[in-house]
Amino acid sequence: MTNTTINAAASCRATAFTATQRDNPSSKEVCLFLADYAVSLLGSGATCIRLEKNILRMASAFGKKVELTIMPRHIHMTVWQPNADDQFTSISSVKSGPISFSLNTTLSRLSWRVADEGLSLDETRKKLLEATTTDKDNPWLTLLLASLANASFCGIFGGDPTAMSIVFIATAAGFNLKQLLAKLHADTRLAFFLCAFVSSVIGSSDFLFPSGSTPAVAVGTSVLYLVPGIPFLNSFSDLLYRHYICAFSRFTDAMILTGCLSLGLCLGMKLMNVGMF
Amino acid sequence: MLLEFIKDAILAAMAAIGFGAISRIPRRAYLWCALIAAISHSCRFLLMDKDLGDLHILAATAIASFLTGILAVFVSPLAKTPAEAYFFPSLLPMIPGIYAYKSFGGIVMCILGESQQHFQYYFYQFARNGLICFAIILAMVTCATIPIFTFKTTAFSATR
Repeated sequence: MTNTTINAAASCRATAFTATQRDNPSSKEVCLFLADYAVSLLGSGATCIRLEKNILRMASAFGKKVELTIMPRHIHMTVWQPNADDQFTSISSVKSGPISFSLNTTLSRLSWRVADEGLSLDETRKKLLEATTTDKDNPWLTLLLASLANASFCGIFGGDPTAMSIVFIATAAGFNLKQLLAKLHADTRLAFFLCAFVSSVIGSSDFLFPSGSTPAVAVGTSVLYLVPGIPFLNSFSDLLYRHYICAFSRFTDAMILTGCLSLGLCLGMKLMNVGMF
Repeated sequence: MLLEFIKDAILAAMAAIGFGAISRIPRRAYLWCALIAAISHSCRFLLMDKDLGDLHILAATAIASFLTGILAVFVSPLAKTPAEAYFFPSLLPMIPGIYAYKSFGGIVMCILGESQQHFQYYFYQFARNGLICFAIILAMVTCATIPIFTFKTTAFSATR
């Protein structure tokens, strides 16, 4: 059998499968898909309320009911067909990855397409795979924008042009290290500690320049790009919607990361013999 | 004063774009994000100014965050992006990062210190900065989320 024939046969099977699913996918199929969707959405930095709304919307579009428990590292989900003996439960691990509002947007839009356009389960699954595999950023552009953002931060806190330039360099070095460590799959806490150390050492160099009149601002703001703002904000958002366990977990995570960056900062300042706080 | 105000708005917009890039917001959201951050941060700037609002950082941040939430909810359907994608990077320039790490610095110095006076000073630093940080973030998120609660249909159907 040639490759073309194999592909055509596979395509026919896929079409037949899709048609069946569009009519009435089983609870197991829907549950496994929704679990995949949920772990990707939560891993991208979505709040619990958005996750709940999107999942309920899609389950309803597939003619199912769903109950889910969102835990810090797992999602426990039961999907069932009303008035039928067809239910399935799954527990999935949350995908830990970089925060991505782009992925969050794509996945939220997908949930509306399922509800409004009646996308089949198979099509939706393909779209989910496509969204999760094509969500890439340009690391150099991110590095440049992050460095500019932190230098702007320095300006907001009253830093002079020398301090802003030094913060730009300190952030570029620290953020580049963070990207490198992420590629090497290094522990996030260790990465935060090391990046804060590198940035604070470079940031402290403002004390060496006679033209710099705000060296303390430069040191203080050199590590602000590491402050885990989104986990902090998400934790409070979950708290308001009474997802207390998730809220507490995200808050603890954010506090630990802030602790690591503070330790890196303290060590850097100690090394440079800069007065602490 | 006017120059300071404009400078604050521009710097906040740049910070929001940078933090938007770190949190990978969709490209079409960058401009809106910068605009929302500039408006809300300048609002906080005016509210905290001695000659104008003269408000405490907590109250000023709460009001500016509410404004951010309102703008994010009504801008989100225009670019078909969830409101969080706008308001999180816009709120980040208002995150009290300096309070947070001063609080941790206080703990470290409490541990490293040897005298009672030293300990008391740094414990005060830890408690004060930590409490302010906590209160500001709580006020920020609560106030920014109120518009999402109030206009739920608009907020959660933005990507439709």
